Amino acid sequence: MRNKLISYIDLLFAGNPDTEDIKQEILQNTLDRYDDLIAQGKTPEEAYSQTISGIGDISEIIGRTASQSTTDDRADAGASARAQKKKTISKVLVAVAVALYILCAVPVVVLHNEVGVCLLLAMVAIATALIIIAGTQRRQLYGQLYGIHLTPKQKLRHSIHSAVGTVGLVIYFIISFMTGAWYITWLVFPIVGAINGLVSACMDLKEAE
Amino acid sequence: MSIAGDLIRGHTDAIILARLLRSDSYGYEINKIVSTLSCGRFELKEATLYTAFKRLEEAGYITSYWGGSGAGARRRYYTITPTGREASGRLTEEWEETKDIMDKLLETRE
Repeated sequence: MRNKLISYIDLLFAGNPDTEDIKQEILQNTLDRYDDLIAQGKTPEEAYSQTISGIGDISEIIGRTASQSTTDDRADAGASARAQKKKTISKVLVAVAVALYILCAVPVVVLHNEVGVCLLLAMVAIATALIIIAGTQRRQLYGQLYGIHLTPKQKLRHSIHSAVGTVGLVIYFIISFMTGAWYITWLVFPIVGAINGLVSACMDLKEAE
Repeated sequence: MSIAGDLIRGHTDAIILARLLRSDSYGYEINKIVSTLSCGRFELKEATLYTAFKRLEEAGYITSYWGGSGAGARRRYYTITPTGREASGRLTEEWEETKDIMDKLLETRE
């Protein structure tokens, strides 16, 4: 009966060479159970059928192991690792950008001259670039993760909006620092919004035609 | 095993971690203890057990090593990792809370 059990397990895992480890493990535990049942005074037949029924549905385990070894899944794992990396990079980029935005006032406060202003603008430019890169990475990421693929038109719209937004931001800082008229320069942002709205409207109109 | 079995099976991970918290063990030994402690009312299928082992190993909660061969094949032992200990504590707490809520929800006397 013991041999019958071994051949049963052999049969269960037949055609799945990748599952040798799990087979060994399940075989050992199945034999343990069988021996235990015999020791409890069960007949070999009873012990055999009870042991077999105790194994349950192993198709899931085999499926798991088999799919782990396929190249498809490896590619998937690689993609998900890359996605994770991209996510981390984009977070770091945003963090650095925010730090730059906060610190950009320092050169002006310390130096009190054109060099300070230039440094400030450079820092703002770098920070903005970082945020745009982070945004692109994240968009790619979500596209991959959720299978969202934007149409070329939507992509164009996104690009225009982010470009207008960025230019607006830079203009805001330049005008603000040059004129010191912070109380009014925020008007750049509603204007940016209006421009983006106009762009969308024009694109929609063209599409409708 | 009926509905209660399904309910308990949902906590397979917690059960395995709790057992490994006491000592390293292998599949059949864990199942034997589970069966004994539940007075034969509950038992895990081998398949359920191994799926859980794999999952826990992938999550980094347990590690495995091949022990000396038993009667026939090799025996795979499992050890709980520090993260596994944390997870076990968390799962036990979660269960305590669930039990508490269920007790209150099913309380029929005023």
